[in-house]
Amino acid sequence: MGDEGETMTNNVSENSEPTANQDELILAQQRQIEKEISDNIPLVGELDSVISLNKEYSTDDIYLEKIKDLASKYSYVRRTRPDGNCFFRAFSYAILEKLLCDKDSFIKFYKIAENSKNVLVELGFQQFTVEDFYDTYMEVLKRLKDIENIGEAKKELHNVFNDQGYSDYMVVYLRLLTSAQLQKEHDFYSCFIEGDRTVADFCHQEVEPMYKESDHIHIMAACSALNTGVRVLYMDRGTGNNVTKHDLPEGCSPTVHLLYRPGHYDILYP
Amino acid sequence: MAGSALRRLMAEYKQLTLNPPEGIIAGPTNEENFFEWEALITGPEGTCFEGGVFPAKLTFPPDYPLSPPKMQFTCDIFHPNIYSDGRVCISILHAPGDDPMGYESSAERWSPVQSVEKILLSVVSMLAEPNDESGANVDAAKMWREDRSEFNKIAETLVRRTLGIPLRPYRAVMANRDQS
Repeated sequence: MGDEGETMTNNVSENSEPTANQDELILAQQRQIEKEISDNIPLVGELDSVISLNKEYSTDDIYLEKIKDLASKYSYVRRTRPDGNCFFRAFSYAILEKLLCDKDSFIKFYKIAENSKNVLVELGFQQFTVEDFYDTYMEVLKRLKDIENIGEAKKELHNVFNDQGYSDYMVVYLRLLTSAQLQKEHDFYSCFIEGDRTVADFCHQEVEPMYKESDHIHIMAACSALNTGVRVLYMDRGTGNNVTKHDLPEGCSPTVHLLYRPGHYDILYP
Repeated sequence: MAGSALRRLMAEYKQLTLNPPEGIIAGPTNEENFFEWEALITGPEGTCFEGGVFPAKLTFPPDYPLSPPKMQFTCDIFHPNIYSDGRVCISILHAPGDDPMGYESSAERWSPVQSVEKILLSVVSMLAEPNDESGANVDAAKMWREDRSEFNKIAETLVRRTLGIPLRPYRAVMANRDQS
């Protein structure tokens, strides 16, 4: 007890010192939790059966029922690391994986990507800040494009997305394309932003920074930027035995299927 | 990929050399190590820091620009948003989510499309307009709010110190008179 008393006094005196303040202790703890997650969960995992989700909810009847419903529609899930980038990482992985099986669409996608840096610069992004992300993005697309064998191309995609350097640069570039889309169509998107923030403010604070989680509005803009549609299956503790599906944009025929559990996205496969 | 932080820092250095913003000089301390920079910031005109030239160092993480650098003044400086050891505490040096400092949600945050130049410009505005809500130096924040003329006097002393000019004679006289 005596020791504890002493520590308390130390803490109090340290609080008035600039060297050890509470804010930094909180940040240090946050870093520690992030490190544990990154040590244990790969950026993008291997295919797993949908039923394997049961393990995470063994005592939760609501979830178990919903997993049963999900399993009637999808066979596999591919987990992503919950680091705030999961939507962007899952979405770009899934869309590229899909495109690998359709050479013509891949070439079309590649051509649009090639011109995307000019679009960003026209919107006011400084060239030297977007260049490295664009170069990496194009390097990865080119590498995938040049592999003839689909199986090998998929293996390469998986390796690239699990290499932190490449994977994060792919995420940044998709964030920038999403931000550009929001800003290009700011009249439309401004209706979805709460408070008195402009679309540009929203992009600087919620879209461009790494680790910021994604909402509906991010998904809509990302789909629009890549000219594709996504189906999101919502699974939470809400009432009913079924998962809820949402197609974005509404009425699209989705190329990518994602599982959403509060705060996190994974990829789904039929 | 390992070279991407270095490549970006070299591009930023070039950019800052070709188009230096007014009142700011910055670059690597030595060209062997691009992850440690020095900056010289001129106190903004019309403020109590006017005329001073304040040296600072910037330290970049290996995953720059995914994560922001750290910035620390290497001279004596008394300011609400600078710790007494010189570390700078402004929102652009933090990613969103690092919120314990209590920044306003509208404040500018770090993202990979920010830059050294944007940081230094934010620091210049911080010198001109301290934010006394997020007090890294509580004493300075309090004095800024409650005794501006004393705050200005301290700032003036610090400005003169960065220029290597001794205190004005009359202040020395005043100081002597107070003592007697």
